[in-house]
Amino acid sequence: MTEALGIVVLVCLGYLLLTNLVYVVLVAIAAIENGVRRHETSSEDYRVLASSRFTIPVSVIVAAYDEESAIESTVRSLLALDYPEYEVIVINDGSNDATLARLRNLFELEPNEMFVRRIFETEEVRAIYRSTEHPNLVVVDKENGGKADALNAGLNVARFRYVCGVDADTVFDRDALLKGMRLVIQDPARVIGVTSHLTIARDPEHAMAAPPGKRPIDGSPLLAYQHLDYLRAFFNNRLAWSKLGFMLCSVGAFQIWRRDVLEEVGGYSREFTCEDIELTFRVHERFLREGRDYEILCLPDNVGTTEGPDTAGKLVAQRERWQRVIDETVWHYRGMWFRPRYKSVGLVGAPFYLLTEVLAPAFEVLALVSLPLSLVLGVFDLTVFGVMLLAIAFTNAALTACAILLDDLQSRTYRKRDLARLLLLAPFDLVLYRPLIVWARLKGSWRFLHGDKAWHKFERNAREAPA
Amino acid sequence: MDDQRGVDALVLRVAILVLALALPAWIALSVAVVLGRLRYDRRLRDVRVDELRPRESARLIRRARGRPRTEWGRWRRVAALTRLARAHDLAAPSLLHPALADPDPRIATAAIRSLGDLGDEWAIEILVAALRSGSAPRSRIAAELERLAPAPGLRFMPLLRDRDPAVRFWGATLLCPYPEIAHENMIALTWDPDPNVRAAAVETLGTRSGDAVGAATLARLDDPAWFVRVHAARAAGHVLGVAAGPAISRLLADPQWWVRSAAKDAFRGMGSDAVPVLLPVLTHADPFARNGAAEVLQDIGFVDALALEQPESPLLERIYEAGGEGLRDAAEHRAEERRPSRNARAA
Repeated sequence: MTEALGIVVLVCLGYLLLTNLVYVVLVAIAAIENGVRRHETSSEDYRVLASSRFTIPVSVIVAAYDEESAIESTVRSLLALDYPEYEVIVINDGSNDATLARLRNLFELEPNEMFVRRIFETEEVRAIYRSTEHPNLVVVDKENGGKADALNAGLNVARFRYVCGVDADTVFDRDALLKGMRLVIQDPARVIGVTSHLTIARDPEHAMAAPPGKRPIDGSPLLAYQHLDYLRAFFNNRLAWSKLGFMLCSVGAFQIWRRDVLEEVGGYSREFTCEDIELTFRVHERFLREGRDYEILCLPDNVGTTEGPDTAGKLVAQRERWQRVIDETVWHYRGMWFRPRYKSVGLVGAPFYLLTEVLAPAFEVLALVSLPLSLVLGVFDLTVFGVMLLAIAFTNAALTACAILLDDLQSRTYRKRDLARLLLLAPFDLVLYRPLIVWARLKGSWRFLHGDKAWHKFERNAREAPA
Repeated sequence: MDDQRGVDALVLRVAILVLALALPAWIALSVAVVLGRLRYDRRLRDVRVDELRPRESARLIRRARGRPRTEWGRWRRVAALTRLARAHDLAAPSLLHPALADPDPRIATAAIRSLGDLGDEWAIEILVAALRSGSAPRSRIAAELERLAPAPGLRFMPLLRDRDPAVRFWGATLLCPYPEIAHENMIALTWDPDPNVRAAAVETLGTRSGDAVGAATLARLDDPAWFVRVHAARAAGHVLGVAAGPAISRLLADPQWWVRSAAKDAFRGMGSDAVPVLLPVLTHADPFARNGAAEVLQDIGFVDALALEQPESPLLERIYEAGGEGLRDAAEHRAEERRPSRNARAA
């Protein structure tokens, strides 16, 4: 019994060692990529892009479902973007709350018939509104069909060659679109998709009110740990994926796509729990199968702040959904695993997701059961156990500090005292935050195995009333 | 038992090794974050962005003269060049050449941006040459050329006669802000064998005036390439106004959505002058033409005026028939919202 337990623990530790080694390699690659992008950004002149008629126009699509508390700040931030030509298309996806009424009141919307193309079949559009105050704002009111359906309805209305899908609970920087489109403008034939770094706050509008350099990080440890999670995801992983040619998730909160690519692959799919990862996989699959030259990029520029769940229950609901969609997508595209035809996506990216995301809950359960048991049964003594935990905690802390450093080198956004707080919180991630994520992943994997595809949207945080 | 002790010792050794690497790494990185930020804040306070101290200038020149082999090293060189160009350092022009020839288009583009910062005669010459050779994204070069003063319009003339259609395209596009230059050449380019060039020429003519220009834009309304028809519709609307209406109205039934959309834009631009041209289209055989005409009549305010003044008018009914229930509902809704305020004003 103890021998078997020892083997299980060794397997778990071996898994942990392997994944952390992979992360260290990715961090090294991400650091190089971050440096290159930083130099690129410093030599960029955004004033030229912002005033040039050659800057490619973009249709920004916001899918909104029951977003009455968040929609105003999102749409206002989008209408204030510093970009030469763009339109904002808000899709009210059959909200049950006052989302549409708020939009109508705030932006002086009038019903206005538009004869749009029907490239994608969607749920019925009830009405289209135009703002008398902002000529570039269109609101589409439709029957509920889910986020993918709403984005497809937006694609039907969009007038421009590039589209940027965003979440309705995110507040954007004025130059978000300029930063996102910078590399597209340089090579529109190759760059077909772009995503960029987003941060998290309980109340994004409040967080974004401070200027860069003085921006606060939410005081609640739960939000601070989510902030660290985002930093690790963007700076330690996605930047490296982008450099290695397997950017696997163009995040739903800010995803720029060339519209003809979306039309070609059939738009956003309603068959999956979430739309963003699956779409990215689908585009890779199509382009690699056909041997086409393309790039999907992740940029380190901070483009906005999205709302993070402010209670453990909401966080678990969100993360279990993320786990489910990863499981669904990686399984659906299992034909790409280890196939040289799919280049780095098939040989590295998809197996990486399989190892670090899909299989992780299984190893985490094994570790959760076997480690305490091995301590009780005397397989390991307390000293070994303690040193092991410290090693895991500080490995994670070192990787997190790397992400904080890369972010600060790139954006210099946050207050110094908040950076110091994040650095001090990092070693405690293992005991204060990780258990929640493990639980969410387990739930997500369980629901995936049971074929659950419901959204389980978390209830929006209470926000400060506007002054 | 010995095996167990062996596993115990192995795990302990590995854990200590990992901890011995991770803990100092965490401390070092944390210190790097804090010190890096303090240093950045101090530099921000001390130095004006574009100002270079002699020592810094010498360091940047040394870096810009280097021949780095790695991507990282090349970017450091570009960053140095950018700083030198922004500070208008005398050494910048001679140092930019190698970066312009870099095989990596992103680095060549960064050098192009620096040329835009310099903005002198030499820089214009290099930018135009880069536009011809296509060594960096042409749209980016064009953006830099457009921000230069004094305006380099005459320098673009030879581009119109280039053998490469991409160069002719950019020549025609860049001459848009210079209505006094290359009138005849631009009209001639509307017959270019390359459709992209024809589209660019027609788009540029849309900002000009004159009978010959109007005739050239009208001629391109039947172009076989749909994107030329798009630009032709908008240009003809701008140049000729309602006189081009009957010709543009044909495009409301074009098989391409983009062309129909451009035709609608052209009519919107004409405002209420477009009404007499659009009314006959309401009974067009093509449903796209009918609903397009109704949509424009709605957008220019004609439908709302009728709905308020003559809600029972047969003409309004004709528009509703052409535009469908959605258009009727939207118009009636708007009219209902406006009626109370109108009645209040009348009272």
